Amino acid sequence: MDSQSLISLEFFATLNPGTFNALAGRAFQREIHTGYNLVIEGMSAEACYFVLSGQLRVSRMNRDGRIQILARLGAGEPVNVISLLKEDRINHASVESLTDSTVLVLLANDFDDFLSQYPDFSTALLRNLAKRMAKTTSLAANLSLYTVRSRLAQFLIDLAERPQYAGGWTQDEIAAHIGTVRDVVGRLLREFESQGLIERDRQRIILLDYEALMSEAQNYDV
Amino acid sequence: MNFEAQPIINLDRCTKCGLCVSGCPENALEMTDQGPKLRQPSICTYCTDCEALCPTGAIRTPLTVTWGSNYLS
Repeated sequence: MDSQSLISLEFFATLNPGTFNALAGRAFQREIHTGYNLVIEGMSAEACYFVLSGQLRVSRMNRDGRIQILARLGAGEPVNVISLLKEDRINHASVESLTDSTVLVLLANDFDDFLSQYPDFSTALLRNLAKRMAKTTSLAANLSLYTVRSRLAQFLIDLAERPQYAGGWTQDEIAAHIGTVRDVVGRLLREFESQGLIERDRQRIILLDYEALMSEAQNYDV
Repeated sequence: MNFEAQPIINLDRCTKCGLCVSGCPENALEMTDQGPKLRQPSICTYCTDCEALCPTGAIRTPLTVTWGSNYLS
């Protein structure tokens, strides 16, 4: 990826030219294929990454082996930063490539140098972490406050409004993201379909009734 | 019939257990030396049963979400 394309990505756009050039000099690009496990939860954290193209999935597994999808990350997003900031430097979550992707790799020692020498780099990371924390807080609130049916309605609306993330979700992944199991997602999708809220056309879920879905999405668990 | 989406089979993850082949309600899959493949893509209804049956996550039937035409301008 050339410098012009790189600087157009959100994270890099906030860096001053000196920091940007230093980063371009120290980090290196890596191509990864679909299904590649870039980061494995529980292993030693060796680097952080910046997505240049493609889509990655961040997940954590609980003791029962159930997986929670924490986020999907696209171009410009930093990956595995929290693991490098933690004292134990153990990967906090797993990251898998959902598509053929390109990432910029910044090794742990170089990451430390950038944190101490380039304040705008640290500020950009803090802003990104604040954005992620806000999303994670919303996710946690949703899991505790809303029914599974509401969470699924919210999730469908959210995906439809963010076309860049609206594709490629399996029912297992949807279930893992909203904190339930695949069978429940399948049953609720059939219920939404029978009630005329959505329509299924092979791989497509078409949202038909915004008001009714919003009403479902705002149902608290009482 | 719409043929545009088919199950995605990752042979690297497949153990050739055959659950997808035996469980396909349309009999659209067959087992080969390399692993399962769609014998007749045209009869696959994208029911997603093969994905649910696969114990190793080797088959994916991803979904996309869009607004209906009433909400697209």
